[in-house]
Amino acid sequence: MSTARVLTLIAAFAAFATSSAAQTPVTDGETASMPRTKTGSDVQPVMDQAIFAHVLFNEFEGRWNGSNSEFRWDGQGWVGTDYDRLWIKSEGTLQGNGTLEDGQQQFLYDRAITTYFDLQGGLRSDIDSRPTRNWAAFGIQGLAPYFFDLEVTGFVSGEGHLAAKLEASYDLLITQRLILQPQLELNVYSKADPARLVGAGFSDIDTGLRLRYEFNRKFAPYLGVVYEGRFGQTANFARQAGESTGDFRFVFGIRAWF
Amino acid sequence: MIARLYRPFVMSLVLLSPIACASSEPTSAEQNAAVPLGVDLGGSGPVLASAQPQAPAEAMLVSAQAAAPQHSGEMQMAHAGQNDAHGTGTVNSVDPTQHKINLSHQPIPEIGWPAMTMEFPVAPSIDLKGIKPGTRVNFTIEQGQGGMYEIKAIAPAGGGR
Amino acid sequence: MKAFAPPLALTRRRFMQGAVAAGALSFAPRSLRTALAAPAPVLSGTEFQLEIGAVPVTINGRQTTATGVNGQVPAPILRWREGDTLTLAVTNRLSEPSSIHWHGVRTPSAMDGVPGLSFSGIAPGETFVYHFPVHQSGTYWYHSHSMFQEQTGLYGAIVIEPKGGYAQAFDRDYVVLLSDWSFEPPERIVSNLKFQSDYYNYGQRTLGTFLDDAQRKGLADTVADRLEWGKMRMSPTDILDVSGATYTYLINGHGPGANWTALFRPGERVRLRFINGSSMSIFDVRIDGLPMTVVQADGNDVAPVTVDEFRISVAETYDVLVRPTADRAYTISAQAEDRTGYARGTLAPRPSMAAAIPPMDPRPMRTMADMGMGSMQQGSMPGMSHGPMQGMATDHGSMSAMSSMEASPEAKKLQGSVGVDNLAMVPTERLQSAGEGFPPGRRVLSYVDLRALKPGSDPRPPSHEITLHLTGNMERFIWGFDGKKFSEAGPIELKRGDRVRFVLINDTMMEHPIHLHGLWSELDNGHGEFRPYKHTINVKPGERLSYLVTADEPGRWAFHCHLLYHMETGMFREVHVA
Repeated sequence: MSTARVLTLIAAFAAFATSSAAQTPVTDGETASMPRTKTGSDVQPVMDQAIFAHVLFNEFEGRWNGSNSEFRWDGQGWVGTDYDRLWIKSEGTLQGNGTLEDGQQQFLYDRAITTYFDLQGGLRSDIDSRPTRNWAAFGIQGLAPYFFDLEVTGFVSGEGHLAAKLEASYDLLITQRLILQPQLELNVYSKADPARLVGAGFSDIDTGLRLRYEFNRKFAPYLGVVYEGRFGQTANFARQAGESTGDFRFVFGIRAWF
Repeated sequence: MIARLYRPFVMSLVLLSPIACASSEPTSAEQNAAVPLGVDLGGSGPVLASAQPQAPAEAMLVSAQAAAPQHSGEMQMAHAGQNDAHGTGTVNSVDPTQHKINLSHQPIPEIGWPAMTMEFPVAPSIDLKGIKPGTRVNFTIEQGQGGMYEIKAIAPAGGGR
Repeated sequence: MKAFAPPLALTRRRFMQGAVAAGALSFAPRSLRTALAAPAPVLSGTEFQLEIGAVPVTINGRQTTATGVNGQVPAPILRWREGDTLTLAVTNRLSEPSSIHWHGVRTPSAMDGVPGLSFSGIAPGETFVYHFPVHQSGTYWYHSHSMFQEQTGLYGAIVIEPKGGYAQAFDRDYVVLLSDWSFEPPERIVSNLKFQSDYYNYGQRTLGTFLDDAQRKGLADTVADRLEWGKMRMSPTDILDVSGATYTYLINGHGPGANWTALFRPGERVRLRFINGSSMSIFDVRIDGLPMTVVQADGNDVAPVTVDEFRISVAETYDVLVRPTADRAYTISAQAEDRTGYARGTLAPRPSMAAAIPPMDPRPMRTMADMGMGSMQQGSMPGMSHGPMQGMATDHGSMSAMSSMEASPEAKKLQGSVGVDNLAMVPTERLQSAGEGFPPGRRVLSYVDLRALKPGSDPRPPSHEITLHLTGNMERFIWGFDGKKFSEAGPIELKRGDRVRFVLINDTMMEHPIHLHGLWSELDNGHGEFRPYKHTINVKPGERLSYLVTADEPGRWAFHCHLLYHMETGMFREVHVA
């Protein structure tokens, strides 16, 4: 994918994100749809079971390492009440040659169980240019002490293979609007999957340091550096396929939510 | 950081207000419509020795005519009548020769009157010297023969201007 | 009527000019004005027609649509007389249900205006006729109790003239209705808070404040402090959930630049009826250069107490008397507690005067006492603080708990649940504290300063106690009582004639103005039978307080935090008097 195309994609997304984040007098289905008040005894004095919906793109960026570029997204969306939500997680990396890698999509039911953590369960589908894989997913997501955002998910495939993913990030406020975010994603697999260039054991890491500026809360462009690393068997597969095993890349993207 | 921002914010508002004033009607010395002015609800009137406690909502004796308007200063009264109605208004003009007052008053629900501007004859015993145009007053009117309402009592309210 | 009503000579000619102008105004293009539409006039009498509808308004030059009454925002001042029986026909011209609640006014429960408890609301196009006698006097207010209409402009003042006259004389009388206005729709504000609860907090701790603190207090102390708060996943900069980042603060519907002015003649006594009609904002009110004598709180007479400043929480009212003697203007400023903005008016002998606007006070920070860790640094134990605490009944169960840093057994059950992020281990009795954020040397009103003029009418001691924890989960923006939202809990049952003590323990680090409809809350503040009658009681973070209630009016009464977005996300209960 050319740099120009990546930038166009980001610009288009930015335009969309700004218009959503902009203040308009009418609220649409993006947010609270309070249950309609009914007449008679069904009328409630307060609607504290309201349904809310949000979408967050934590990563929506172009990645350059000097020789080639790729485009990566990592986002989540959910709809539901304080206790019960339907959750979608999506991530993927679009390579310069058009292939889609690391396409993990999760469709989960989320239940709030403690003050800061939710229990999640559902389906993970690896959908990209490589063979599709489906897993059952089970994990927790929430805010750990000292304000670390944490997601830990375990997976079981139809064949009984296991996998796990850890995602963590932290927001360090340099100023009220300039925020430095270290971020980490780690994948582990119990069994190798050569068709997907995935080896057993610790498989890959995607970690980065992103500096964003929040023009408003919902729209924050950022710059940063990331490291895409592969370990062990995964590294071997990568080398065989002519891909790198450890890559530093410069990123530019937009963090947006609505 | 916020503290540093609010000063320019205030300055911009101060700069905006002349623009706001410029678009309003031409003002005379008395009619400064550019600045929103509070509505004066009037003075307290004579103060009693003690105030009422707050009682639970048991049945309380409701006095028949609890309509005493707020007034300060002395109230001039000709006599207390049975057909009294009470109002509040502003004096527009005083006619000492005809012993009449023209005033603009608030609605008088006791007799079902909306806010109006009209002329009232004033009971002969009332001294009009203290009543100046522009004064806010509380007054009592009574319907005499021929259906005309006459001012029976009048006093400045809240110290007017 | 004329757009602005100066208390000056209103000759017939000017009256006609005004009428024509008012008529013309409705067709005039929206000129650049820094205020909302004309200030509310006064409606008096015993029969009222109120029409709720969408009202186009201009705030700080920006046009928007608000929810008003009779075409006005704020709604008209209602002037009633103690002893009258009122009929108020309220017509709803919105496209959604509405309601009006008469805040602080004791009415039969069917007239209280809470959809779901008093009635089913006023449907679009419908007219509901309120009919009730008035057995009290003072300053009150009215507002919608439907959805977020209170945020979009449906609020107004009520002034009830006392039958027996006023306790103190005054020459002029002004309503000062403070409110908050956002151009964001309230549904979006709640949605933003649900995703990111510190969305509106631009006063957070940063690398900059870390370095500042390290320079002042030393690196080790600063790191320890950050770790202490970080472990709890709390921020001491959480003052108000919705701030000046989105709010414009209004005084009688006017922004700070409009210079709303109350006129006086030097030497006159002026009564100012302060009402906090905002949705989420606690104001610190003062008049620079002019002390204020507080004479009424929540509509009820108190022994006059002179202060420089008072903190007025949402839905509270304070009537003050001032006596400006100089021929100059004074600035009335109401700073938001988090210092992100202010409402401002002027007290002046002539229109178009203005005084200097004093700089805002430093932003307060939450302390460990606010987190319910007790006031360790003062070395005082809860309950033993200075102030006239004699005659105060103490809850011995919670007093013994203070010796160890453990929450009470009933509270421990709540720990870790979805609706609770903190428990006050050692809630403090601190009515004598005015709160945080006041510079030293300023006389600030506190609840122990409120002493009723007359003794209470029910001399019985309470027959039982009802303890409620004010709880919340800031991260998820869920609020409730005892860890439960309204939809998860049942009503609080009282029998008619009961004399009960409510004990509130604030397990959260935010103030909550707690309002009980229909019945007076007699605050235990050490004055014994002269405890003040209030309708809204502001409970400070980590505080424990109590008040007495006589359940003398039957019905289903709302009981809730008056921070609108807390109420709508669960901090609400029904108090059922059978």
